[in-house]
Amino acid sequence: MRENGSVERRTVLRAAGASVAALGLAATAGCGGDGGGAGDGSVELRFAWWGAEERAKRINKSVALFEKKYPRIKVKTDFQDYVAFWEKFQTQAAGGNPPDVFQNAVTFLRKYDKRGVLLDLKSQVDAGNLNLDNFRAGVEKVGQVDGKQLGVPVGSNTMSLVIDEKVFDKAGIKPEQGWTWDEYFAALKKIHDTQKVAGDTGYFGIMYLYDLFLRQNGKAFFTEDGLGFAEADLTEWWTDAYNRVKAGIITDPKKIEQLKPKSALASGDAGSEFTWDNFTVRYATEGDSSYGLAPIPTTDGKETGQYLSSLMLSASARTKHPKEAAQFIDFMVHDPEVGRIMGYDRGILATTEQFDAYRPADASSKAIAQYEEDVAAAGVLGAITPHPAGADTVEAAFLRIAGDMSQGKTKVSDAVKQFFSEAKTALAA
Amino acid sequence: MGTAVTTLIKDSPPDAPERRPGPPAAVRRRGRRENLAGYLFMSPWIAGFLLLTAGPMAASLYFAFTDYNLFSSPRWIGLDNFTRMFEDPRWQKSVEVTAKYVVVGTPLKLLLALGVALLLAQSRRGQAFYRAAFYAPSLIGASVSVGFVWRALFSDEAVVDRTQSFLGWDVGGWVGNPDWVLYSLVALTVWQFGAPMVIFLAGLKQVPKELYEAAEVDGAGPFRRFWSITLPMLSPVLFFNVLLETIHSFQIFGSAYVVSNATCGPADATLVYTCYLYQKGFKEAQMGFASAMAWMLLLAVALVTAVLFWSQKRWVHYEEAAR
Repeated sequence: MRENGSVERRTVLRAAGASVAALGLAATAGCGGDGGGAGDGSVELRFAWWGAEERAKRINKSVALFEKKYPRIKVKTDFQDYVAFWEKFQTQAAGGNPPDVFQNAVTFLRKYDKRGVLLDLKSQVDAGNLNLDNFRAGVEKVGQVDGKQLGVPVGSNTMSLVIDEKVFDKAGIKPEQGWTWDEYFAALKKIHDTQKVAGDTGYFGIMYLYDLFLRQNGKAFFTEDGLGFAEADLTEWWTDAYNRVKAGIITDPKKIEQLKPKSALASGDAGSEFTWDNFTVRYATEGDSSYGLAPIPTTDGKETGQYLSSLMLSASARTKHPKEAAQFIDFMVHDPEVGRIMGYDRGILATTEQFDAYRPADASSKAIAQYEEDVAAAGVLGAITPHPAGADTVEAAFLRIAGDMSQGKTKVSDAVKQFFSEAKTALAA
Repeated sequence: MGTAVTTLIKDSPPDAPERRPGPPAAVRRRGRRENLAGYLFMSPWIAGFLLLTAGPMAASLYFAFTDYNLFSSPRWIGLDNFTRMFEDPRWQKSVEVTAKYVVVGTPLKLLLALGVALLLAQSRRGQAFYRAAFYAPSLIGASVSVGFVWRALFSDEAVVDRTQSFLGWDVGGWVGNPDWVLYSLVALTVWQFGAPMVIFLAGLKQVPKELYEAAEVDGAGPFRRFWSITLPMLSPVLFFNVLLETIHSFQIFGSAYVVSNATCGPADATLVYTCYLYQKGFKEAQMGFASAMAWMLLLAVALVTAVLFWSQKRWVHYEEAAR
């Protein structure tokens, strides 16, 4: 009995030791998984972006094309929606394991540059792996910060006013380049009075729109390291907004809240909405009216404050394959076939090769191209406003606090104070 | 395992070991070897506990006293995170929202659980079916999909809004209304009353029948029987449920996150404590502040638990005392 027992125990001990060793090995293997280079000289890149199913399909097609041309490079893709993407990215980047190549936007350039996450692509341009020629209207500058090339634009976009054409027609309103804010709000009131629908979905919480208004008045939302406006400016902006919500010419914020993620313009609960021009494709999909693009209202009858912005591709400073990452970015922004596949999903194609290769067939794509042409022809495009590190948090706080204010849950004066206090913390971080 | 534990106890008698001679050396050796085997068997759990629970907790305790943005190394700032917390209006709001949720939701849930348990304790046909039916929501209630269903139920023109309007009390959908949305979360937790109900049922079965018989002979009505027999006899179970459900409510996250479409709004109306903690830590990358918040929550829950334990002297009757 005793003899027997001790044998069993030894066996068991050995088994336990083996399992501990196996665990340890598994852990080691887990850590070693990110190298991505097998012995045959092939290289694996991780590429992540935000967007929806439709964009994923197009990107996967483009990636397949790239892999055919560069059989040595494999690209592993991953996507989420915008908010989830940046939460995941932040965690990955903090852990020293961001994707090699990823979609980026101007709001995040300084933030992640300051934290050493972004690769300065200048060196890859110099090495001949990435070509920065042939970008339309100098849009490659959107990716430049402090003399570094931190992102390469894939498509240009600009803020616009999307309108429900049927509602505007019935109310007898024809928006024209250079119309003023007074005319715009008078139009909203007319829509409310004659069409029994709110005029706008909530312009007052959109950081990019307030930026345009400030730019029309010689200011801007951000400076290089802080806010470019005073508490008094915002108090005026939000007080007017609150009164307009109360008067019913802006959609009831309660309604907006419940419709999310659908837009109140698409659901027929508003006549217009400010957003990026390349987002307009969604309204035709979500709603059943016809939607068009209208000019941004002005302060002086001329300046809209608009500029060309862009989604970009950036590379990680930590990537083990900077050359391949640069080659991939180069292919994605210059290859004509990729341009034909992507269309205007991420804005008007940024390079002439892709722009010339793609001829939009659908009405909304044509309208977007026409809109950017019109805006450029009107001579109102300026240089982009800088976004300091922490701008993304400030933008989110602006939207949230504007929402609280419009619901009447926070007095305008308190909301303004809270926004300035939160912005200060975010910009200092 | 059992032997290992007994040996462990034998090896270290609690009272004055020098007065008694120790066990013979051979037995002691064998004991040690068995201890080793015991620990080896436990090693996956011990490793898991140290690496996945104790380690991160120790790290978070350290971060609580630092300014840490996930990228630069943590900078020691003493109690700054805690003082900042008390000055932060959103933190105050999150405490208020959570307190409201706990104070309104927990008693309602327990009352319903007790009520239904009393009904189900009487034997009648289809009893097993009813128990299963009432218990089912507890199994699925915490899932994300139920959160989406809830959001749909409590929107404009949805079932709840229509029923309410029909009854002449039109407030619109709860989900978009800062004054009402928290109650949709309360409804969601109350709906999951099945888990405490099952525990109450088990408690009710333990109450000796002869107590009721004796009371009936003495002429006690149903209410008197409930008040003087059921409730005191059930009080240990009630205490257990109160404790469990209270601690559980403090940790609400999933339902608030999903019903509010990941914003914990509108107007911060569903900004429960953990949701704000999540926003601070993972959206704004203020990991030091978030860690401090986590430890504050732990302190608060510990305090509430301590108060509950202290109060049980006054209202919880253990069987020895009752007889």
